[in-house]
Amino acid sequence: MCTPTPGAILSLTGAATADATATIMAPCAFDVETEGDPISVNTEPVNDAAVELLLEAGVALAASLDLTTTMGQVARLTVPRLADVCVIDLLDEDGSIRDVAVAAAEETIARDLEEMRSRHPLDPEGEHPVARVIHSGEPVLLPEMTNQLLSSFAQGSEHARFMIDHGYRSAAVAPLLARGRTLGAISTLRLGDGRAYGSEDMDLVCELARRAALAIDNARLFSRLRGVEQRLEAILVNLAEAITVMDEHGQMVFANQAAADLLGAGTPDQLMSAQPGTIMPRFQVLDEQGNELALASMPSRRLFAGESPQPLLVRNIVRATGEERWLVVRSSPVFDPETKRIVYAVNVFENITEVKRVQLNESFMAEASRMLASSMDYAETLQQVARLAVPRLADWCAVDVLNERGEIELVAVHHADPAKLAMAERLDRRYRPTLDDPTGVAEVLRTGQARIFTDIKPDALAAYAHDDEHLELLRMIGPQSVIIVPMIGATKTIGTITLVSSESSRRLSSADLALGERLARRAGTAVERARLYTERSRIAHILERSLLPESLPEVPGAEIRARYSPTGEVNEVGGDFYDLFECRPGCWMLAIGDVCGKGPSAAGVTALARHTLRAAALSGQSPVEMLHTLHRALRLQPAGADLCTVCLVLMTPGLDHARLTVSLAGHQPPLLIDRDGTVVSLGEPGTLLGVVDPIDLLESDAELHVDQTLLLYTDGVTEAGRAGRQLGEQGLRGLCAQTAHLTLDELLEHIEHAALERAGGGLRDDVALLAVRLGRGGPGSGGPAPRGAGEPREAH
Amino acid sequence: MQGEHLQIDVRREQDRIVLRLHGELDLASAPLLQGAIESAEAEDATLMVLDLDDLEFIDSTGLRIILAAHEHSQESGQMLALTRGSQQVQRLMSITRAGEHLRIIQSPDEQLV
Repeated sequence: MCTPTPGAILSLTGAATADATATIMAPCAFDVETEGDPISVNTEPVNDAAVELLLEAGVALAASLDLTTTMGQVARLTVPRLADVCVIDLLDEDGSIRDVAVAAAEETIARDLEEMRSRHPLDPEGEHPVARVIHSGEPVLLPEMTNQLLSSFAQGSEHARFMIDHGYRSAAVAPLLARGRTLGAISTLRLGDGRAYGSEDMDLVCELARRAALAIDNARLFSRLRGVEQRLEAILVNLAEAITVMDEHGQMVFANQAAADLLGAGTPDQLMSAQPGTIMPRFQVLDEQGNELALASMPSRRLFAGESPQPLLVRNIVRATGEERWLVVRSSPVFDPETKRIVYAVNVFENITEVKRVQLNESFMAEASRMLASSMDYAETLQQVARLAVPRLADWCAVDVLNERGEIELVAVHHADPAKLAMAERLDRRYRPTLDDPTGVAEVLRTGQARIFTDIKPDALAAYAHDDEHLELLRMIGPQSVIIVPMIGATKTIGTITLVSSESSRRLSSADLALGERLARRAGTAVERARLYTERSRIAHILERSLLPESLPEVPGAEIRARYSPTGEVNEVGGDFYDLFECRPGCWMLAIGDVCGKGPSAAGVTALARHTLRAAALSGQSPVEMLHTLHRALRLQPAGADLCTVCLVLMTPGLDHARLTVSLAGHQPPLLIDRDGTVVSLGEPGTLLGVVDPIDLLESDAELHVDQTLLLYTDGVTEAGRAGRQLGEQGLRGLCAQTAHLTLDELLEHIEHAALERAGGGLRDDVALLAVRLGRGGPGSGGPAPRGAGEPREAH
Repeated sequence: MQGEHLQIDVRREQDRIVLRLHGELDLASAPLLQGAIESAEAEDATLMVLDLDDLEFIDSTGLRIILAAHEHSQESGQMLALTRGSQQVQRLMSITRAGEHLRIIQSPDEQLV
């Protein structure tokens, strides 16, 4: 309702009403043109009655925006003091003239007149004074109306009759003019013997008309505005986007239902009736990096500060429920048309939670997948994944795997808070879950089903804890919600990933569970793959160790050393072998051999060779007999030629030298190296084993003296590198001559180095070396020989 | 034909098919030779000659293929002959005494009785 002061700017102030349409009206200012002094009119009023009439009319006009009411009141005010009949006509939008108010001293006249008008509406182009006034915008004064005059502008004979019968005598018709337009006309009529209207009366009616016109215009404007407002509101209220309008004091003057929903109020009214500054604290408002956003950085605030803010991406967490939303906030200014100042900020909140979640999830999964694929060291990658998950997914992440002993092993743990990390580690290690625990990691491992606990209550925590200290630790870490997801390999659950969110932040939801499961599936595959790889490597190493002696036995009076560098990847077993064993008391068998090829099948042949030779030696066979035995065993193998070359040396250490019996089967002859650098080769060539028949093998005898070195080797040494670059047999002999004076380790080091250096891009074949040096009296330092400076090397 | 470091030229004569090897014959290039030999066997010539004169290197894998071809030729009746080859080839033949089981000729076009 409007309660104006006469002469003041008429402002239509709206207030929130409690009706169903939740009409929210922004404060708006209408300038209603009234002159400062309501009494001033174009001419000086001649009497108090005129003043009073205008005053009363003013009150009536201001009292209501309902045109029908006000016009009726104004018309009635003029009767009978100014007129016997008063008619207020308005020009409709379609151009027709319609009476909106009729007042008369006698009720019947008013009714009859209305009826007459409805039957004979005024012709807007016609001669009727009202039409003329509306058309011209100029008042018309008809002091004396003759019957003839009446007939001239009557709308038909019935109308003429009506006017004559009722004694239409004098008329003053004033235009309703406002803002340069004619809205209608006020007609005052005197009937019968009434006094004729004069120019003073005309002036009064014009003044009355002027005020009425303004009121009408304002009412119409307001009504149009209301119509627009209602349409706008209908749109805004139903928009999915949340919209609020703030004024410069931070007061919310408009909100739609979506905004109320977003900001945790039941209805827009409840939202708007909140005090400024009470809404924001309900939420934790963060930027994309997780930093708190101040009120001043909100776009609406910045608008009022004179800036032109960009749309702001906000991570909004409802403190009460832990629910998280991603919003894009855009603010637009509304300017005051007069002062050009910003009076309102219109905020639109676009909820992009789903889209953002998908984007974040995808980028997280991409990064996690990359990490998991990057290395076969799955403990390290799982630790990286745990670090990645925190704090994006949760505050605390732990990864457990089930090891081959059936124990649940912690492989990774990370906490957002470094202080809490130590606690979490202590907790995880001290209170290790076991497979028969009813709940927790053990349950998920057993069932393969993920579990989510969205809201952990204190008594649930107490029930879970093993003892007081456990409970205390748990309380300090303060888990609020927990997700445990299974890491599933090809066939079974191999571990779990645990995500914990604590007091400070959001609750974990089913969306987090879905992401956790995806991560766990990816991790499960990666772990299993890595384990298989590690297992294969382990098997390869075991195999290799069984193909080569674990350690070389001590030979009294002699120094024994061996070197082995396989080609190929960590997983590939080699094709060379060597061996040293006491075949009978005081008698030692040295063997070195080369099986064609690599990998599991070659490994099989290598094993066969080594063990056949051992068995043959232990059963008392001579070197040649042993080689024949191996040859027959190889020929018995099904499919494919199992080619094998072997060098055997039977060594019998005596008082001051060792007797040697050498037999070669397709293999490079061993070298006898003197301390002074003389190098000779031993043995006679014999046929290689396993491919052709008949084979011819020979034995030759030699002696190994003190300070002399016997070297057995495979062709990987002499043939390393591209043709033309190779060491070759000559090169090897030269190298041995040069290094004869060095320690046995150094000599082998030099040879191995020479081969590997030439190999450049990769060894063509395994490098194996077995050397014996007879010491100066007393038991020599045999002992375990290093197998290739530790573990087999990677391929170069 | 070309492997990584082995190239094989095939020449068909009236009575023989000659595979001339260039480069290095080892584990990596062995399959190439294997394939060439199998194709040559299919040609059904009286004699297959492996010309090793331009072969810089051979190891046990190459030897194995040659010995297998030899065994195969014994079964099929087709003759297999090898040229002596380079120093290194000869040395390997000598160490393994495989040469004793193979027909070694002086040149690829040598007439065999």
